[in-house]
Amino acid sequence: MIRICLALVAFALLARLPVGFDVGFQFDAALAVIWGFGLLSLVLLTGYVGQVSLCQATFAGVGAYAAGMMFSTFHVDYGVAIAVGVLAAFTLGLVVGLPALRLYGITLAIVTLGIALVFDRYVFQDHIFEWFTGGSGGWRVEGATLFGLRMDSSRHLLAAYLVLLVLFCLVGLLMVNLHESGAGRRFRAIRDSELAAATVGVNLTRYKLLAFGLSAAIAGLGGSFYPLVAGSVSPQPFWVFTSLQFAAIVVLMGVRYVPAAALGGAFMSFVPDVLTRFGHGTLFNRYSYDISYDWFQIAVGVLLIVQLILLPDGVWGDLRGRVVNARSAMRGFASRRVKVA
Amino acid sequence: MAAFTAYTIIGLSLGAVFSLAALGIVLIYRTTGVLNFAHGAMGMFSTFVAWQIFYGWSHPGWPGWLQVAVAVVAAIVFAALLGLFLELAVFRWVRTRPPVVKAVITIGVLLALQSAASLIWKNNAYHLPIYIAPQGWSWTVADVPISANAVLIVVVSLGLALGLAAFLRYTSFGRSMRAVSDSPTSASLWGVPVGKVGAVSWMLGSVIAAVAGILITPFINFDTTSLTLLIIDALAAALIGGMTSLPLTVVGGFALGLLETYPTIWIQSIGFPRLVALVVILAVLIVRNPRGLRVAA
Repeated sequence: MIRICLALVAFALLARLPVGFDVGFQFDAALAVIWGFGLLSLVLLTGYVGQVSLCQATFAGVGAYAAGMMFSTFHVDYGVAIAVGVLAAFTLGLVVGLPALRLYGITLAIVTLGIALVFDRYVFQDHIFEWFTGGSGGWRVEGATLFGLRMDSSRHLLAAYLVLLVLFCLVGLLMVNLHESGAGRRFRAIRDSELAAATVGVNLTRYKLLAFGLSAAIAGLGGSFYPLVAGSVSPQPFWVFTSLQFAAIVVLMGVRYVPAAALGGAFMSFVPDVLTRFGHGTLFNRYSYDISYDWFQIAVGVLLIVQLILLPDGVWGDLRGRVVNARSAMRGFASRRVKVA
Repeated sequence: MAAFTAYTIIGLSLGAVFSLAALGIVLIYRTTGVLNFAHGAMGMFSTFVAWQIFYGWSHPGWPGWLQVAVAVVAAIVFAALLGLFLELAVFRWVRTRPPVVKAVITIGVLLALQSAASLIWKNNAYHLPIYIAPQGWSWTVADVPISANAVLIVVVSLGLALGLAAFLRYTSFGRSMRAVSDSPTSASLWGVPVGKVGAVSWMLGSVIAAVAGILITPFINFDTTSLTLLIIDALAAALIGGMTSLPLTVVGGFALGLLETYPTIWIQSIGFPRLVALVVILAVLIVRNPRGLRVAA
């Protein structure tokens, strides 16, 4: 119950936030939730099940292209397009999960990096796959009506943002519940030791495949909104470096926590845009500076290194730990006072 | 037939670079337990240092060979310092952490190096390649021109591989490195300077990556991303060698180079070689027991 309340409070706080800002920032807000879904998929896969993946942006990209293709080629309702996008990502997740049945740790990282590269350089860019990617121009989505709400990439951006936010809160809530459920216990058993989990009768094949499929579906759900929010799809947002950034940022923020994904999504979407917009000028009328997108990625890399050396549980995990410690310390202090009295 | 020979030469040049890059990965992995995803990025950065010195700060009065030599030596020195810095500032502090955590840290290194290079040298800009041997030098064998750079790259890669093997086998420091790769704990009990071995491995690996990067520039799209992303081919070659065997790694590199090049006779696609690399990685991992990978530290 308290979780549902927290999710509602989070939604209420975030829902009206981008109102009144220009289109650029409204796009950032929607993009933040889309990237948030990508990070959330890693919270499930890495944080809960302990599987490494460097191809989550690929899943999001497949969701985006599948939704774009359904909407542009077959002129279906955008809701159907999203369902197809999620299904396509889920299927690819199962396929990627197959080699993962025999692999773990760094070998899995190598394979998923290879998959991300194949999709980035080959599937999303080669003319053989034009039926899927819409050629070099990509699919254009002028606008659509979803749940009776008019959405497009300019004047009606906030409608898409609201729907994305509702879905994000819902999926986040489901994930926290999953963590406590029977399946979640099996996932955690796999994370802690595959051998021990198999010994106590966890069906490794089923639960590893399920984890990859669900994780890919979550990333694909976010991705399938991308054509609607951005107006078109291109390979660049889903290239291999986005996958690497997903992995870096989710670890940086705290790979085991759902709110860390939201935090990371906002970080990944707003910081580069703010930097490119306001990061140039002249200091004291003398020193001109120009902080571009590249500085963001440098910061991500350096912060990740520092965090892994100093705060292994991530930014959110560390803050959470401090709050929990402070609360238990205060409780201990209070009980001592009671004893003295 | 002539086309086939020409493609063989391209494949061998590519394969030589894959083997070199893979050698550095295996070396670092065996002695420090770090699977270095940033290996391509490190080679890329050092290569651009050479490019900057060669084209950016060229001295028109100097003879050509001297300019090349200065650029290459500067890049090698830079690469050694970069490797030393990474070991001292980052990886020394995470020696006891699980291999996956170390691998994720190298992703941080990759992102930082990649965007720093893109900041300095621009991501999609065209860069003139660095020709170690003058561009015009070539021989014609059976109607197929063989450029001196293609020969050089194969010779250098085989030479460095042999030199590295001899260094590991016949010098006392090489013996220390092999001891650490077998077991860091017992090596340190025998008085082997484990920290020094790690530092030297990082420097050697980084220098080899720089050499590989400089040699490959005439044969690929010379920009920041494509050099960084050579990592997947290098990892494939390293996996063929089981992350342990240096000779198998070299053979694997050449085999992968040929495998990636021959399909381009029929398939005109820049992305298709990536698919070949992925298939090779999957095949190696599924045929070999993946749990058989030896993990140092």
